[in-house]
Amino acid sequence: GDSWGIFTFLCAALCNLPALPALNCSEELGAGQSIQQTYDLTRYLEHQLRTLAGTYLNYLGPPFNEPDFNPPRLARAERVPSATVDLDLWRGLTDNARLAANYRAYSRLLCYLRVLDEQVGTAELRHRLAHFCASLQGLVLSIGGVMSSLGYPLPAGPAGTPAPPGAPAAPNDFLKKMDDFWLLKELQTWLWRSAKDFNRLKKKVPPAVVTLRLEARGF
Amino acid sequence: DSHTQYERVGADVTMKCGSMDWDAAVTWTVNGTDIDESHLNGSYLILKNVNLSQSGQYACYEGSSWHLKYQTSLRVGMPPKEPVLMCRSNNYPKGFYCSWHLPTPTYIPNIFNISVIHGTKDMVCEKDATPKNRCHIRYLQLFSTVKYKVTLTVTNPLGKNFTTLTFDEFAIVKPDPPESVVAKPVPNNPRRLEVSWQNPSSWPDPESFPLKFFLRYRPLILDQWQHVELSDGTSHTITDAYAGKEYIIQVAAKDNDIGTWSDWSVAVHATPWTEEPKHLTTEAQITETTSASTSSFMAPPTTKICDKGAVVGSGAVAVCWTAGLVVAAYSVLFI
Repeated sequence: GDSWGIFTFLCAALCNLPALPALNCSEELGAGQSIQQTYDLTRYLEHQLRTLAGTYLNYLGPPFNEPDFNPPRLARAERVPSATVDLDLWRGLTDNARLAANYRAYSRLLCYLRVLDEQVGTAELRHRLAHFCASLQGLVLSIGGVMSSLGYPLPAGPAGTPAPPGAPAAPNDFLKKMDDFWLLKELQTWLWRSAKDFNRLKKKVPPAVVTLRLEARGF
Repeated sequence: DSHTQYERVGADVTMKCGSMDWDAAVTWTVNGTDIDESHLNGSYLILKNVNLSQSGQYACYEGSSWHLKYQTSLRVGMPPKEPVLMCRSNNYPKGFYCSWHLPTPTYIPNIFNISVIHGTKDMVCEKDATPKNRCHIRYLQLFSTVKYKVTLTVTNPLGKNFTTLTFDEFAIVKPDPPESVVAKPVPNNPRRLEVSWQNPSSWPDPESFPLKFFLRYRPLILDQWQHVELSDGTSHTITDAYAGKEYIIQVAAKDNDIGTWSDWSVAVHATPWTEEPKHLTTEAQITETTSASTSSFMAPPTTKICDKGAVVGSGAVAVCWTAGLVVAAYSVLFI
């Protein structure tokens, strides 16, 4: 009922903030941004997520915190673009497409995590989530920075409202927890994938090239 | 007509002589040898608490005519225990393989059936020709959030058992150990050893999926290993080796980001370069000219014996000294 309304409102508010102004404000972006740094960030986040996920799943309680928990994917609308991809397709992605996919995914994941942060019960969890969201924000900006320095346009906002009107609200507490479970799973998988994405980018676009292009554009 | 009969170890087996009456006079044989009448109950053959050695060809003949009335092959064995199943991706991102075995033998033929489920999809695990008890799967998709569930069922005439493994795509990544590990002393550097190796040949795409390495080394005389983790490159120079000591060196590999470390590579041995003892060299120089043409004893210059390249053990030093003494002895004879 109204939890759905709050959800949509929060997402719309938090997620329609354009990322670009934030980019301009930060001094660390621009010339300093390299693919290596972004790669390192994904590894750091993956490490942080392990602790966060453990704490959060315990908060959700059984069966979500059981290591064997392997639920079927319910036929609900996918909120976040999945990291799962055909191998040949993944290999053939252009640098632009590869970066854009990461940018879009993390923008939306960040949004959903922020909403989670608002709703969650314990102070400890709120603190952890807030810290993680800050790091994740850094990742989004970092990816944006790489894209800009390579001359690629940033994907337009987090594609309208990240909660498409068709997505049904979680009708009960259990299904809401299920949504949270899958959100964390999707985030984890994306971080694993990003490490590989940025490995590939590292080989194809050495940091030196990034710096050169920035100089050419008068940064 | 012939049958095969499977029985459990420890079971009591009663064999009937085909359609013969209970009170008919028959003779039973096992692998051609007559069986003592004490094992018979009428025309039935009673085997109590059978053991493995009682497996064989049993035949029953009518008393007087010596007509073959019944034949059976008795196979004594056991129902299968829970099989041991292991799945691993040593060729990420191509796919993974699963291999299995029984913890204890059953002594009778077993049939293994493996099924792989990914979410709602059934996948086919293609059986390998060799080794047996192994099958492989190609990934259709990468970076999956859904786990893989592998179920192995083993069946034999005496029973059935199974085991299941559930895992994430990333959890089972474990490369093969690095190959062609070579360790060499560095000339004029008594504390260095140069180690180089290659990516395991089973790893299909080290460009996009780079490996990182773990090197461990110790002198043979010590138990403590020293470790170095290397995030790229397939070579490393050890700079803190103890002079003159033989070292044992191993390397392991891991995907940069996911999975677990490989097993350790084959161990290589190397001793750092040592300077030649000065007085031996002088002796060798004198005797080289005199003994070369007259002596049948193959006395190569002392330096050659000691210079053995990759594998130089402390034993070689002893050879040096012995060779030096022998050469010295000959030189005394010829002076």
